[in-house]
Amino acid sequence: MSFDAGTERLTMRGIVKRFPGTVANDGAELSVRAGEVHCLLGENGAGKSTLVKILAGSQRPDEGEILLDGVPLSLSGPQAGLAAGIAVIYQELDLVPDLTVAQNLLLGHAPALGPFVRRAERERRARAALDRVGADFPVTATVRDLPIAAQQLTAIARALTFDAAVIVMDEPSATLGENDLRKVFDVVRSLAAEGRSIIYISHRMDEIMEIGDRATVLRDGRTVGVFDVASTGPDALVSAMIGEARELVASEPRPPVTGEPLLRVDRVRVPGLLDVSGIEVRPGEVVGLAGLGGAGRTTLLKALFGDVRATADVSLDGRPLRVRSPAAAVRAGLALVPESRKEQGLMLGLSVVRNAAVTALGRPPWLLPHRRGSRRAAPVLADLGVRASSPHQPVGKLSGGNQQKVVLAKWIARGGVRVLLLDEPTRGLDVGAKADLYRQVRALADTGVAVLLASSELNELTANADGIWVLYEGRNVGRFDPRTTSETTIAHTVITGAMP
Amino acid sequence: MSTLTEEPRASAPAARGRRGSDMFVKFNLVIVFFALCAVATLLAPEFLTTRNLANLLQQSSLTGIVAIGMTLVILTSGIDLSVGSTAAFGGMTVALLIDQDMNFLAAIAISLAVGALFGALMGGLSAYLALPAFMTTLAGLTAIRGLTYMLTDGQPAGGDVPQAFQLLGGGFLGYVPVVGLIFIAITVIAALVLRCTTFGEYVYAVGSNREAARLSGLPVRGVVTAVFAISGALSALAGVLLTSRLTIGQPTAFNGLELDAIAAVVLGGTNLFGGRGGVFGTFVAVLLLSVLRNLCNLLGLGSFFQMVVTGVILVVALILNMVIEKRGSRV
Repeated sequence: MSFDAGTERLTMRGIVKRFPGTVANDGAELSVRAGEVHCLLGENGAGKSTLVKILAGSQRPDEGEILLDGVPLSLSGPQAGLAAGIAVIYQELDLVPDLTVAQNLLLGHAPALGPFVRRAERERRARAALDRVGADFPVTATVRDLPIAAQQLTAIARALTFDAAVIVMDEPSATLGENDLRKVFDVVRSLAAEGRSIIYISHRMDEIMEIGDRATVLRDGRTVGVFDVASTGPDALVSAMIGEARELVASEPRPPVTGEPLLRVDRVRVPGLLDVSGIEVRPGEVVGLAGLGGAGRTTLLKALFGDVRATADVSLDGRPLRVRSPAAAVRAGLALVPESRKEQGLMLGLSVVRNAAVTALGRPPWLLPHRRGSRRAAPVLADLGVRASSPHQPVGKLSGGNQQKVVLAKWIARGGVRVLLLDEPTRGLDVGAKADLYRQVRALADTGVAVLLASSELNELTANADGIWVLYEGRNVGRFDPRTTSETTIAHTVITGAMP
Repeated sequence: MSTLTEEPRASAPAARGRRGSDMFVKFNLVIVFFALCAVATLLAPEFLTTRNLANLLQQSSLTGIVAIGMTLVILTSGIDLSVGSTAAFGGMTVALLIDQDMNFLAAIAISLAVGALFGALMGGLSAYLALPAFMTTLAGLTAIRGLTYMLTDGQPAGGDVPQAFQLLGGGFLGYVPVVGLIFIAITVIAALVLRCTTFGEYVYAVGSNREAARLSGLPVRGVVTAVFAISGALSALAGVLLTSRLTIGQPTAFNGLELDAIAAVVLGGTNLFGGRGGVFGTFVAVLLLSVLRNLCNLLGLGSFFQMVVTGVILVVALILNMVIEKRGSRV
């Protein structure tokens, strides 16, 4: 393949993508040359994934255009993206685990003779693709049996079977160890040397410095700058990701919460995922958990709630807390507002009042659940200001903000909650609904509940938490006081894992 | 009575129209049932005789009792394929125990307990080891039928049963068969359990979203195990009642019962994926299917024809439910 290094291969211009309640891309630009490794950087929610999905053809932009070699592209679906020569390797590798490597590599475009697959030809092509990424495992191996690095190479080789000119790699290092990453980097370099364009997404600065030629930084859905990686340096890139403007959020000043801790997490360990120690939450205190995707926030909350097996040294009100199941956690006074309200929080087909009441029924008399439940849940729903056409409306038909309030109502109606665990409670909510929800959480804290609040939205944490722990690669690296620390400083630690 | 913040209501006529269609959605099966009865009366004058109606109730009751248990299982998004085998086993054990001169009430209690135990075992395997209920109860279907044959090496059992025991399955109170009364009583009890106990509410919660129920701290595994135990006990009861009517235990009885029961549950409007439905729909569906069979008999249409009609009706009912549901979600 011949190419002129430095010519524009791919251009995305003025990309806008709106979702109900939020704008994911708001004028994003991306310009990638032939033969370069181009990094795409940004904090959680900066719009990276949406931009990649638009590039892959799996989502259509509301505005903007995509040019490949100067020709406008209109991508009607992922197949169109592949046909145009754009291959995306997602973090969760979309390979079919029970098929062989050869079957996976040529899935959907296997060499055929009429209705018959030409197996020998398929294996020859698969071998050729594997050789080019330097993989030495047999093409007849089943993908499920391969180590994760080999699966990653398989996914890259699959992109080569489409002769993709643009290859997008979404956080390959999230699943790879150090040695395997070297191997993948070598392949990335040789592909770039052939004139292919690689778009490399990662949170880790050291990787970016090692592999990247240039970097595009996204913030709040917009492109804030394109940088030459080598001459810019990590600090400037991090600053560009965070932005300079955000300083102390002027929320109502709250006095620091004092008193004995109610929840003490001396140590919680989940092998390979999480090792956290020394987190304390006082009654009435809202402690935030910040971190990148995969830093362990959700795992920590699940471990505390008895939903993930962990070796835990935790105490509640001075007494050791051992929970082996969510049911035991609930009995001990813990409550979880899970990450996905539709899949984990609510029974969408049941009515608002039945959802809110279901936790309140687990005590004698075991009779008349509807009457007892609505007696307990109805005032709570009214207090929270849940808007529904009737308490008997299915909860699935409410707006996101109202649904999340029903999840909260479920625990308030039960009563006896001492520790409230919130996992991304405002995901998908509009600004008003977010403010409303945080007001309710604060009101609950004021009754003496200890709150652990995990969120990807740092500005929400600084505005609503009394203290913020930053988690990085499964460890808690430091605690910040949002009253005295700027958001920029915290964001720096979130991205780099290093304390200021 | 709503204490929620009310959104502006739709205009009155539209609301009335919607209420009308709600009523139709809720009672469409009952309407179809009475329509079918009316047609049957016109086509075959013998249909509306006490004798025929009593027969009809007697024939549908055993399947009905099993279908009530199946409804509970399906409401939790499970399925129980073992009901036919468990019923046959229950019928055989009660016959054998009475043959050993055991008091028939004790024999019945033991049969039901064994049925509940089988159910709890299969349900427990599915709940605690996360095995699909389809597979554990399919295994149960085969294994329990095998056990049933092993009891007597495949021969019918018993024969000499007390008069009082025979009344249960074959007796009449006036014109009403005793098994029919038992069927009605079990339906009412199940409806009360579903509506008026915490356990019943948990059944719906687990069926609607098992993960959310678990993360709400509900005893999900216990609930799942319990509904299978109930289904097992009710299946065994059906077996006991058949033995009572025939005065012998038949190891080959109730083949394919699971399909009749599932068909009735689904026709009764219970969602096969759990969370929605109830025993009242199942009750009407059982009667409806049996009226259909009865009508075919009275008209001299063969059983082959009946099978085709039953199949067609099931598909039509499913499509109808889907259409109504879609319309409902658009409102």
